[in-house]
Amino acid sequence: MSTRAVIDISELPHHEFDTYDPVWWGNNLLLAIETSMFAILIATYFYLRQNFELWPPPVAQLTATLRPLPQLGYGTAVTILLVFSCAPMVLTDKGARRGSRFVCQIGLIICILCALAATILRGFEFSAVYFRWDSNAYGSVVWFMLGMHMMHLLILTTESVLLTIWIFTREFDMKHRVDIVTVAVYWYWVTAIWIVLYAIIYFTPRLG
Amino acid sequence: MKKEEQELRDLPRSNKVTRIEMEDEDLAAAMQREREELERTWARPTGLRGWFSDTDHKAIAKRYIVTAFVFFVLGGLEAALMRIQLSRPENHFLSPDRYNQLFTVHGSTMMFLFAVPIMTAMGIYFVPLMVGARDVAFPRLNLYGYYTYLIGGILLYVGLFSNTGPDAGWFAYVPLSGPAFTPGKRSDIWAQMITFTELSSLVGAVIVIGTAFKMRAPGMSLNRLPLFVWAQVVTSFMIIFAMPAVMLASSFLASDRLIDTHFFNPAEGGDAILYQHLFWFFGHPEVYIIFIPALGFISPIIVTFARRKIFGYVALVLSLISTGFIGFGLWVHHMFATPIPQMGQSFFTAASMMIAIPSGVQIFCWIATLWGSKLNLKTPLLFVLGFFAIFVLGGLTGLMLASVPLDLQIHDTFFVVAHLHYVLIGGSVFPLFGAFYYWFPKWTGRMLSERAGHWNFWLMFIGFNLVFFPMHKLGLNGMPRRVYTYLPETGWGTLNLIASIGAFVLAAGVLVFIINAVWAYRAGVVAGDNPWGADSLEWSVSSPPPNYNFHNIPVVQGRYPIWQATADAPVVRGLSTKKRETLVTSVLDAQPELRFEIPGPSILPSLLSLATGVAFIAGIFTPWAFLVGAILAGIVLTCWFFGDPNYENKIARESGEKSEKVSPRGGLQPKEV
Repeated sequence: MSTRAVIDISELPHHEFDTYDPVWWGNNLLLAIETSMFAILIATYFYLRQNFELWPPPVAQLTATLRPLPQLGYGTAVTILLVFSCAPMVLTDKGARRGSRFVCQIGLIICILCALAATILRGFEFSAVYFRWDSNAYGSVVWFMLGMHMMHLLILTTESVLLTIWIFTREFDMKHRVDIVTVAVYWYWVTAIWIVLYAIIYFTPRLG
Repeated sequence: MKKEEQELRDLPRSNKVTRIEMEDEDLAAAMQREREELERTWARPTGLRGWFSDTDHKAIAKRYIVTAFVFFVLGGLEAALMRIQLSRPENHFLSPDRYNQLFTVHGSTMMFLFAVPIMTAMGIYFVPLMVGARDVAFPRLNLYGYYTYLIGGILLYVGLFSNTGPDAGWFAYVPLSGPAFTPGKRSDIWAQMITFTELSSLVGAVIVIGTAFKMRAPGMSLNRLPLFVWAQVVTSFMIIFAMPAVMLASSFLASDRLIDTHFFNPAEGGDAILYQHLFWFFGHPEVYIIFIPALGFISPIIVTFARRKIFGYVALVLSLISTGFIGFGLWVHHMFATPIPQMGQSFFTAASMMIAIPSGVQIFCWIATLWGSKLNLKTPLLFVLGFFAIFVLGGLTGLMLASVPLDLQIHDTFFVVAHLHYVLIGGSVFPLFGAFYYWFPKWTGRMLSERAGHWNFWLMFIGFNLVFFPMHKLGLNGMPRRVYTYLPETGWGTLNLIASIGAFVLAAGVLVFIINAVWAYRAGVVAGDNPWGADSLEWSVSSPPPNYNFHNIPVVQGRYPIWQATADAPVVRGLSTKKRETLVTSVLDAQPELRFEIPGPSILPSLLSLATGVAFIAGIFTPWAFLVGAILAGIVLTCWFFGDPNYENKIARESGEKSEKVSPRGGLQPKEV
């Protein structure tokens, strides 16, 4: 007869929300990478600004010299849409934790519609900058900021669409509920980063 | 809602120890059955498919190590060619253009294709084994990282061999590397190679942190984490905050060249110094990204061969972390020759000197560990002692370079070449070779020859000092870096000849290692599980380790798990033998939380790296490639999302259905103590 001391873990769950799940860590570490990327991009924006007497640089037209501040319309609309979309995302987040498939289905669809609309508006936003990426350094850095954020918006939308298809057609299992909660973090992050970029692109030039 | 919250609270917060009691034969039989099931569940795909779909962390890490070593040899051959060229004045062995390509590709190879990947690879191999996990946290991401890196490396060498090798230095400063001064595709190849390798490092960093934070064996609270793993974690965090800078720099450079943006074009408000800031904000932490994992090799080697506990564990960990922080405050000392405000210069001088403090603390802790102990002077320890000598010299010249007036005098001379090689080869390559000798038995099950090891060490040590010590003097005498030749009247010929001879002695040392490794792999002495009598968990499993790493996840009882394990140390029971499960524990205290299912082999990560390859390589020629690449990646990721996660290995599932229903405890019923 032999005895062996053990720690029995056979009753432990397979998935759990937030910090329990490695997926949460993977997602947040990737967001840390992207946050440092945006931080350095913002630093680049202000670094380049030092080279300009007027930021954005003036455009000489036939009639007068124009100070082409980026138009507020589309950017503001994108901001409102993204901030609004956080509300259904919070509900989806809670729904996933509670195990309510219906709430997640409806919430995700509203979120995706908002993100798609924001992406289309973003397309117009580029033209509201007055400069192309190859006009000058101002145009380059602003297009890059808008473009990088748009890339995240697209990835986020694609990810949400895939998850939505899954919960409509397959099981509403714990693994994918954890995924929804993780995507929600990504969603809040995309919105938060955009608020910062929006303030920088549209308002720091106006401040002087 | 209530029920969920209840379940959340019921997650075990304490390691409750129970006992199983069984007849000896029954226990042995049950264990044997479990091992067979685990073998089936964790079976690795073989053949060609195996090459592209095997997600085992040990297999991937070994491929990383071998690939990075091949690049090390290639980079070394480039250095040898340069040394032949410089061995006498007005030599015509290499053309100036070829020489430019060689030093650029040499530097890029050693930094991006050798040093960073091989350090990541060591982490990918050993972090799961040291913390008691069955695989890394994200095995498929791991496979993606490897192939992305490989594609980037091949891209650089296709460039070099087709006379399109980058030629603007390993940091590719603008405006030289920009569209005006480097037409053609040379700089684009460099920029995209950077993107590939940084992507793979970032992926590796996420994997290492995820594994070290969430997959530790019960009992391995953070204050018992092996120093090797601490070093890997600190490095990974540095990668996460530093690498985005160089990815932006290389993306800006590529877009300046491809789609006419003006980030670095002063005529349109761009800024060349911006490039230097972006590059060195990555480039200086990069030095520590290469160096800190090597510090992680030194601690276990010293503990094992001094045969005693480490002196100052907490001081060592805090030194690693503070090096990680201070490492971000040094980058401008690479740019003292640019117009930087004096205040800035002073700040960065101070920070550059400050970083000597944590490095000093570590060296003193190691000396204190070695002091008075009965040394077991095997090859790994020899390399560590060599590290002390060389690295301290490199550190001292580093302090000299931190001072602005001296830096301006010797900026861009061979003094800097000497300094950086003392720091990088001394700080990183010597410990790495020590690590090769130390862990080779774990990788292959066989010992490297000690005799050849001593030859290897002395050839490398003498050769290294012969090459690089004279360069200090050459630099002080005014010999600039990156010149393909010099005039006889300069009087630099003798020292250069000595350096070139040294290069071949150094190369002979590396050759001895290669022969030793090949010989030992075939016919070395069989090592056994723990040939050095070491203390950490990787030595508690067979050499090489089984595919599933640990049959029973151990319960750790101290900082030195093997040395401190009691006879009746508990083990973890309850992981499935039919699914690829590993234990997930809490970040601080390593309390069991989840039975986490790890995805199995898949071809999709390799396809995803291929899509990345299409995007970035074709992206050298047309921006539309990024759209195509994104669509391809989207298709692969969709398949990934909906595809068979292969959690349950098919063979195991079939055999499991046939045999009787086995309880998750594997038929062993625990009862309360």
